[in-house]
Amino acid sequence: MAQAFAELSVAQIQAGLTAKEFSAKEVAESSLARIASADKAVHAFLETTEEAALAAAARVDAAIAAGDIAQAGPLAGVPVAFKDNMNLEGTHTTCSSLMLENYVSPYTATCVSKIIEAGGIPLGKLNMDEFAFGSSTETSAFGRTFNPWDLERVPGGSSGGSSAAVAAGLATLTLGSDTGGSIRQPGSFCGTVAVKPTYGVVSRYGVVAFGSSLDQVGPFARNVQDAALAMNALAGHDPLDCTSQPVTTDFTANLAEGVSGMRIGVVPAFMEAEGLAPEVRAKVEEAVEHLRQMGAEIVEVELPNAQAAMSAYYVLGPCEAFSNLARFDSVRYGYCEPGCKDLGHQYEASRSAGFGPEARRRIMLGSYLLSAGVYEKYYYPAQQVRTLITQDYVKAYEKVDCIIAPVAPRTAFKFGEIADPTSMYLSDMFTISINIAGNGGMSMPVGLGADSGMPVGVQLISPAFKDENMLRAAAALEMVYGAAPVAPAFADGKDGE
Amino acid sequence: MTQHLTEKDVRGIATYARIGLTDEEVTEMTVDLNNIIESLKPITEYNLEGVEPTFHPIGNLSNVMREDVEGESFTQEVALENAPKQQDGSFLIPAILGGGDE
Amino acid sequence: MKKLEQVLEDWEAVIGLEIHAELTTLETKMFCSCKLEFGAEPNTHTCPVCLGLPGALPVPNKAAIESIVLAGLATNCDIEKRSMFYRKNYMYPDMAKNFQTTQGPVAFCMRGHLDLDVDGAAAKERIDLGDLKPGEQGAEGTTAANVTRTEDGYVAHVGIERIHMEEDAGKMIHIGGGEGRIAGATHSLVDYNRAGTPLIELVTKPDLRTPEEARLFMQKLRQIYLAIGISDCSMEEGSLRCDGNVSLRRRGSTELGTKTELKNMNSFKNLHDGLAYEICRQAEVLEEGGIIYQETRHWDPSAKRTIVMRVKETADDYRLFPEPDLAPYDLSDEFIEGVRAKLPELPDEKAKRFESEFGLSAYDARHLVEHRSTSNFFEACMAEAANDSNKLAKPLANLIINDVAAYANANGVSDMAQTALSPARAVELVKLLAEDTISSKQAKEVFAIVLEDDKDPSVIIEERGMKQVSDTGAIEAVVDGVLAAFPDKVEQYKAGKTGLLGFFVGQCMKQMKGQGNPKVINQLLAQKLS
Repeated sequence: MAQAFAELSVAQIQAGLTAKEFSAKEVAESSLARIASADKAVHAFLETTEEAALAAAARVDAAIAAGDIAQAGPLAGVPVAFKDNMNLEGTHTTCSSLMLENYVSPYTATCVSKIIEAGGIPLGKLNMDEFAFGSSTETSAFGRTFNPWDLERVPGGSSGGSSAAVAAGLATLTLGSDTGGSIRQPGSFCGTVAVKPTYGVVSRYGVVAFGSSLDQVGPFARNVQDAALAMNALAGHDPLDCTSQPVTTDFTANLAEGVSGMRIGVVPAFMEAEGLAPEVRAKVEEAVEHLRQMGAEIVEVELPNAQAAMSAYYVLGPCEAFSNLARFDSVRYGYCEPGCKDLGHQYEASRSAGFGPEARRRIMLGSYLLSAGVYEKYYYPAQQVRTLITQDYVKAYEKVDCIIAPVAPRTAFKFGEIADPTSMYLSDMFTISINIAGNGGMSMPVGLGADSGMPVGVQLISPAFKDENMLRAAAALEMVYGAAPVAPAFADGKDGE
Repeated sequence: MTQHLTEKDVRGIATYARIGLTDEEVTEMTVDLNNIIESLKPITEYNLEGVEPTFHPIGNLSNVMREDVEGESFTQEVALENAPKQQDGSFLIPAILGGGDE
Repeated sequence: MKKLEQVLEDWEAVIGLEIHAELTTLETKMFCSCKLEFGAEPNTHTCPVCLGLPGALPVPNKAAIESIVLAGLATNCDIEKRSMFYRKNYMYPDMAKNFQTTQGPVAFCMRGHLDLDVDGAAAKERIDLGDLKPGEQGAEGTTAANVTRTEDGYVAHVGIERIHMEEDAGKMIHIGGGEGRIAGATHSLVDYNRAGTPLIELVTKPDLRTPEEARLFMQKLRQIYLAIGISDCSMEEGSLRCDGNVSLRRRGSTELGTKTELKNMNSFKNLHDGLAYEICRQAEVLEEGGIIYQETRHWDPSAKRTIVMRVKETADDYRLFPEPDLAPYDLSDEFIEGVRAKLPELPDEKAKRFESEFGLSAYDARHLVEHRSTSNFFEACMAEAANDSNKLAKPLANLIINDVAAYANANGVSDMAQTALSPARAVELVKLLAEDTISSKQAKEVFAIVLEDDKDPSVIIEERGMKQVSDTGAIEAVVDGVLAAFPDKVEQYKAGKTGLLGFFVGQCMKQMKGQGNPKVINQLLAQKLS
């Protein structure tokens, strides 16, 4: 049995490397071997990237041999993996779509290169909902991913593979992307620390776009310190992304401070929302109580326009997606239907065969919503509603440093349990307003739900560019609940039996 | 529920979005889209008079530009690496105007 | 079909232009750092951004924004500090992202204008000037409201709606159809080297009324763009392109007719001829009771007609929305003033300066500044002429406008500095003429020889013995001889057939092998015949 290095934390790996208990090469090889055995049950990985992993490991080992592990970066030797909408030169970037089944990236995303430059060992690419459209990873064209806590349940989505890989101990850190909840919801479903930073903290260059004004990249980890280290590596202005901002915060700096004196907001309307499962509500209330006991001041705040976030999101997201996905036209890359006599037929046949049903629905919806006369009715008002929601948060943050809320209305559901698209959309009811406003939000695991026995995450929400606030509160909760465990069936190198 | 779109509308949208749909798919898509559009109603019922839209959720960021300095480009081989069809260093596409066979 | 002049008697043409200019003088593309270069191997100036690869993001070229602001300042536009890029969504294979990044309702440059000097034959297409006297403007509410009469034509005030920033598409080669045409082609090849080239589009108000005005507008705009150095403005290579919108209405009517959009007018002549044809075609259709369809038509210069490309049944729906990947603009005064400081002397200002500084006529000054190469050459000559500059300005202007320009045109010379005619030689030549050392006819010969033999004019005159004879005594002898040889003609002249003077001059010149000073010959002949 391969040693399960990826079950270790960043600090544990670096200690072992420094003490020469193992080498980065061993970490890489064992982690890849572990994926080969354990991922049969989870199917988090679409591809492993042996060559890139070994090259990265060699650089780390060279730095250690030269006597300076710091040279190799703050994530030296850490097994990492990336959602498959992130380009890594020379590897496939499929977005879990037939459209890009054979696409090989000729360049690397900034977030990916930053993690590798920080010393991370790239193990592979992770399954997702096709083009990130979904909340269960069931829309992947290459098979579903299974929740490591219960293989009959979904891992959440769209970054289902990213969360499942961390929960199963197949990677220490992974990256996902979040447009309406796609990091936080699978974080909650699989019990991982899952961070969606403020829009603009992390470069989007090289991450296949879904909703350009909503997408943000962030890390999955099993403890807050590791997530903060990943944030340190990821954050900052990228000259290749106009919307990225100069952020130089050390996200690990205040993790040990506790929440004493911190003002934490609770939104009554969220807690009383229709459809919120009692076991989830109970967990959020429990976490609030812990925070209060640790010295936080709990304050009720109102987000009166948050209820419009859902409809604003299902206007803005599809509109941007329609435009972003227009480039998949069978000319320069992507699926091309053979034998078409003219370009019009090639376009239609290729896009029809290359895109799955959810992608087609969103493209169609966006095309309709942007059309003349309709634009004024939906798109423009949605951007006005965005102003109102943003103002709500700004106002709330005059009173609090951070907000606590549910992530998802319920714990991980069973495969096929939700088939109707509009019901599936409700998975994001507590996460969407954060993307609309652009704030930071994260899911912090707080144990298992009383009814389902599945992991529950609470959502911590930061003011824009104050992502350190939610990480600080999360670190305090971690003192109570402990670091997120590897799912029992996969702990200690087990393969899911 | 309001019928926002007819099947004919849906066919028109599909043509514009360049997505081929079978008759069955058109029927299904029409139901789905009408459901989704119905769920967007709150947006149309808001009083938004005098509210400025937020097209860019990035605070006060403006005038982000780069200097006019040449960087690296792909070689022709890399540019065409993923091309479904190519010829003479270019991307090959079938006739743009239909062959008149329909 | 009727001729244009006839058509314009009954119909007023309403013309607007959309003029695209590639910012070819920049180093890199609009949204990526790929090199701008015409004629490279296909797809070698490409990257994730301009190939529209999944995940790529645009970053605007600052120099391109400076260029469009410069263009706006040079065309009297208001510079809008706050504007945004938009996505114009439609699928076409030369557009890698299948949307064009362009601007929305607010462009960087809004509400500008250019004044066109229309004179000579060009002014004849305009028939609504009536009794306007030089200096008078057409009355408000008349079709000539934007026009001011001048001595030899008129000035038309042409509004500019906007100039916006966008990106060019890639290039396609169509194979299997006739002459590379898209119709009938079996397949096409796409090269994205040009994709993402910074492009500015100027849209005029529908203020133009004749094909000549359209041509002059385009010419003037080209002069300005060349002067500010933002583009090489090659209509042949497509870095300057023009589409025209034309409609007709009965003279006296204020309603706009249905317009057609005209494409492929890739030279000044094609622009004029394409519009002229389309005006005549529309008139014929309308006079026969037909309808003009809103359609895009293609000017075919070899067939000398426009052909329909596509009919627009409904307005195009481009699903325009603000580009979320690009930050909005809020240009500072500092930025705009920084650009203004780079604004060179524009052709109009230069012409005014030539008038005041060197005493040139408005006509000469205007024609000198038509090309930067001629105005530069003129200025170099003026510097060379030093103290004589005022005296020599007029003859130098004549030489440059007529002989130099004709030579440059015929020989494809874009810069006279590359020929044997240095400013010093030009000044010497004009001096020799002004001092009556050579005749104007001889001057033309010497001009040609300078360019051919690369010698100074004085040397050429010396070698070829071309000096003009102005000595009265020598000429008088010749005059006397001629008058004696043709007594019958002298009789006729004295009887009133004064037209014979030319005959006598010619005979004298012939005897003097062209070297006699025509002024002196004329004088003496007049004396002796009276």
